[in-house]
Amino acid sequence: MHDPTGPWASAAEIAGAVAAGTVSAVAVAEATLARIGRENAGLNAFSDVTADRALAEAAAVDAARRRGAAPGPLAGVPFAVKNLFDVAGLPTRAGSRINRDRPPATRDATLVRRMNAAGAVLVGTLNMGEFAYDFTGENAHDGPCRNPHDPTRMSGGSSSGCGVATAAGLAPVSLGSDTNGSLRVPAALCGVFSLKPTYGRLGRGGTFPFVDSLDHLGPLARTAGDLALAYDALQGPDPDDHACAARRAVPVLPRLAAGTRGLRVGILGGWFEVNAGREATQAVASASAALDGDCRIVPLRLDPAEAGRAAAYLITSSEGAAFHIERLRSRAAEFDPDTRDRFLAGALLPAAWVIRAHRVRRWWLAQALAAFRTVDVLLAPATPTPAPPIGAKTLVLDGRTVPLRPSLGLLAQPFSCIGLPVVTAPVFTPGRLPLGVQIVAPPWYEERCLRVAAALEAAAAARAHPPAMTDAAA
Amino acid sequence: VDLDAYIDTASAMVNLPIAGAYRPGVARSLALAAEMAAVVDRVALDDGELALAAVYTPPGIGEAGDA
Repeated sequence: MHDPTGPWASAAEIAGAVAAGTVSAVAVAEATLARIGRENAGLNAFSDVTADRALAEAAAVDAARRRGAAPGPLAGVPFAVKNLFDVAGLPTRAGSRINRDRPPATRDATLVRRMNAAGAVLVGTLNMGEFAYDFTGENAHDGPCRNPHDPTRMSGGSSSGCGVATAAGLAPVSLGSDTNGSLRVPAALCGVFSLKPTYGRLGRGGTFPFVDSLDHLGPLARTAGDLALAYDALQGPDPDDHACAARRAVPVLPRLAAGTRGLRVGILGGWFEVNAGREATQAVASASAALDGDCRIVPLRLDPAEAGRAAAYLITSSEGAAFHIERLRSRAAEFDPDTRDRFLAGALLPAAWVIRAHRVRRWWLAQALAAFRTVDVLLAPATPTPAPPIGAKTLVLDGRTVPLRPSLGLLAQPFSCIGLPVVTAPVFTPGRLPLGVQIVAPPWYEERCLRVAAALEAAAAARAHPPAMTDAAA
Repeated sequence: VDLDAYIDTASAMVNLPIAGAYRPGVARSLALAAEMAAVVDRVALDDGELALAAVYTPPGIGEAGDA
């Protein structure tokens, strides 16, 4: 049991302590705000710290408890959101300079309201790659988010501030987005858990889009249990998101400890192994070894993923550019140079490429669903390598030097392309930077991903660890 | 493909002026997109598959398929 006001308390520990009255939500919020004040300058995770709001929300949670009202499953849990979520009173900047001209949001995003309704306390908004077109965590306007495990290294993006804040003990839960890997890459490089649910599961109302047909939202946390706790609070239909499925909420927390006995686990080789470095392959092997025995391990190739990744690339480029075309026409000089050229190019793609990409997306989905007739979940590396140095421009994959920005998320892209649920689980090796393993399930089977993540955590094969730079004794 | 010529023509077609300083980066991105298009092009698609709309809904299957 951690001190609920300390950096490494889980959301479940904090909510339990607040509900029991052994600590006040205000004390948790004050300690969290003080920690952010001390540590954010070196990490660059936060865009805005909503201190007054946090203290008011925490006081309301404490007052509710004193009245005898149920304080909620996330009572007093500090959380922060990627700055593409609407937060009333702040312009929704989406990592850009241009959006800072927008009027402040008048209403919170759907998922912010859901977190508040569960008793969670918003402590701020988090930096991100411009308009979410990023895998690195770098941003020309705000500077790079720094990896808490080595501040000279990339955090991963585009939910960069989420990975950093949650890994560094500044927010036990954060909310980000994932279009091509933007939850999974920072979770992997910063060594925390993330859940990218099925496309359409969580409502995107009140968030700034990137690629509507690929955009997902989801939580990051330091334990599988916290991920499930947050996910359960976030589920439900959203009339403000046309793509949000009208599905009943399916709470996963009660089933988290059900175990994995008998599950068939496909270990992706082939294209996934060719494009992963040695350490990433070893991370999957160690997760596989931890599940072996309880589960049936099935080596598997799913090489159509390469075409799925290519389809996602083309759809992203074209659809993202079309969304921004007026800004590209009138304010191109104000874009981050690392996103501008790709957006401009995306506006020029032949329609035949993009339409074919949509057909290939459907074809790739059929290949993946066929694989799920023989296995229940898939394991694959989340990134090809651990966190590269900030400023790196290239990556070596399978002996080829490739541009880093579009390539750091290539192992994640195939699954978001077809909307499959994925939990990223952190794998640490002593003395090394963390890596992530993707646990992938068929559409709407988030529970299966989370149960496997919980089993890996219980076996100590996947766990978040405090960065050495922070005070792990707290 | 002469990417410079393509940028000239296509950018004029969509009324998107591209400053000279941005053109090398745009050309690199177009070249990478062409590589991706070649990968997509190699997939043998069935003309009987109707999946042309840019609207995507994951299917429900099995017990998790209930709305």
